[in-house]
Amino acid sequence: MAMHTGDLTFTMTKRERSVLFGFMGLGVLCMVITFLGDDALHSRFWSNYLMNAVFFTGISFVALFVLAAFTTAYAGWHTVVKRLWESYSLFLLAGLALLLVVIAGLWGHLHHLYHWSDTEAVKADPVLSGKAGFLNKYWYTFGTLLIVGIWYFLFARPMRKLSISEDNNGDASFRQYRTYKKYAAIFLPVGGFTSAALIWQWVMSVDSHWYSTLFAWYTTASWFVAFMALTILMIIYLHARGVMLFVTTEHLHDLGKYLFAFSIFWTYLWFSQYMLIWYGNVGEETVYFHTRINEYPVLFYGNLVINFLLPFFVLMRNDTKRKVGTLFFVSLAVLLGRFLDFFQMIKPGVLHTTHEVLAHHGTEGGAAEAAHHHSDFAAGFTIPGLLEWGTFLGFLAFFIWFVFTRLEKAPLLPKNDPFLAESLHHHVQ
Amino acid sequence: MKKQHKEVVFGLYNDEEILLKAVKEAHHQHLDIMDVYTPFPVHGLDKAMHLEESRLHIAGFVFGALGTLTAFLGMTWIFTRDWPIIFGGKPYWSVPSFIPITFELTVLFAAIGMVVSFYTVCGLGPGVTNPVLDDRITDDKFCIAFDADHCAPEEIQRLRDFLTRTGAEEIHAKSL
Repeated sequence: MAMHTGDLTFTMTKRERSVLFGFMGLGVLCMVITFLGDDALHSRFWSNYLMNAVFFTGISFVALFVLAAFTTAYAGWHTVVKRLWESYSLFLLAGLALLLVVIAGLWGHLHHLYHWSDTEAVKADPVLSGKAGFLNKYWYTFGTLLIVGIWYFLFARPMRKLSISEDNNGDASFRQYRTYKKYAAIFLPVGGFTSAALIWQWVMSVDSHWYSTLFAWYTTASWFVAFMALTILMIIYLHARGVMLFVTTEHLHDLGKYLFAFSIFWTYLWFSQYMLIWYGNVGEETVYFHTRINEYPVLFYGNLVINFLLPFFVLMRNDTKRKVGTLFFVSLAVLLGRFLDFFQMIKPGVLHTTHEVLAHHGTEGGAAEAAHHHSDFAAGFTIPGLLEWGTFLGFLAFFIWFVFTRLEKAPLLPKNDPFLAESLHHHVQ
Repeated sequence: MKKQHKEVVFGLYNDEEILLKAVKEAHHQHLDIMDVYTPFPVHGLDKAMHLEESRLHIAGFVFGALGTLTAFLGMTWIFTRDWPIIFGGKPYWSVPSFIPITFELTVLFAAIGMVVSFYTVCGLGPGVTNPVLDDRITDDKFCIAFDADHCAPEEIQRLRDFLTRTGAEEIHAKSL
């Protein structure tokens, strides 16, 4: 079948490299400015760092999970996008490096992101000491290293190797594919359970007193939507570059459906978490929403508008998922929306901890700061400021640069994949 | 349904690829196909037949929105005007507790509304029998049917020739 596939290999241009490094520079600059102009604990700097590290590590985890899920389900349509997602999943290594900085900060007492890391506070607090068996720096370090290590070294890397080996020496026996499928099937339960433990440590324990059994799902769904939005944006960009043209409107349509469906799924989890806490009306639980509704109303309601109403109403129609312009607009909005979602998951808790620590340690100005407590508008905490967006752009550029370097290393079309023909002929209507 | 007699000429094909080609060819020759019957959905057939996009989803949206309004406004009226009850110490008008039911009624209205719309448009329903051109088109035959009402014999011959040429295995005429 004659079809215009575009270039089958990808090489980063000089311009792309300099633009990406320019944005990375901007990110670093923003982080330095944040650090210098920060409170005594540098909580704005550290929370920005944690937020971005978790956000992009999560996207790479979801890429691996999606590859595993689709492979296990014998899905064929995604084969043309496979190389892009493989490149995403390899970012887990960079994610591990990013999180090592948070761990180093934990051991060196450089930050107070987590209230449970404050030994005195834990002793004085029955709730925190009750959780100390899990929420401690040993578990945090061990869990992060072990779990992200397993994801990358036992799954992402071998699976990528198999996929490339299939390109080079694949034959009709499909032996690489068979092994790949085993990896995929094993990764589903492994990734599914372990990601929850990491989310409790990385994100939920920012609000150390609070917990929600739905939270891991909620965060994973948020990662998933961000992952889909970024995939669509990346494909649209690569198309403009004249590569990956074998990914057609039909594939974009399906990716758009995933973006639509998982935006709804996220909303479902958002609401389920909210409604149970609202109905139960237990003080320890409602405090989470109480803080967010009263002190972060723009963020709280804006989150629903940009992450539910917008994709729901725009992507509902058949044709909007087939138009590059609409898809681009929605994906971009939703990607930024996901960032806002992580912002409102992490920032209020960090600000609260900062006030507590400053008040107890009695640093100069700390008592005064604690006096007007967190009802005040705090730039960088109540809404993202320019520095937050700059930092985000820096991390995004780093992620894209990393993905591009991995994309360069293998042909874009996995030519010996058993599902390649099915994927190339994919039609949804 | 009103009784009417209609002359139909149809050809039976063995393969969907041949059928697809024939449908495209018919469009090329400006032959007006009455309908195409296949035992399973054939990719690209809608496009080849130049069918306009179904409007069923618009009906779905309208019925869904109707369900949303019915549930939400209904509960609002019941719990604030008709029979206010305090439960769980919540206000009378507790929006979060309305959401699950609003969601369910949206789905229910959209689903039932679409089924009813579809049946109405297609003339289906309990007690309605529709004539079948050939039983095998529900099994392994693909059929292109032409409306041959008020057609001159030479026109009918032209349709039959077309069917033969494009690879139909059998050609029949039937009065419905």
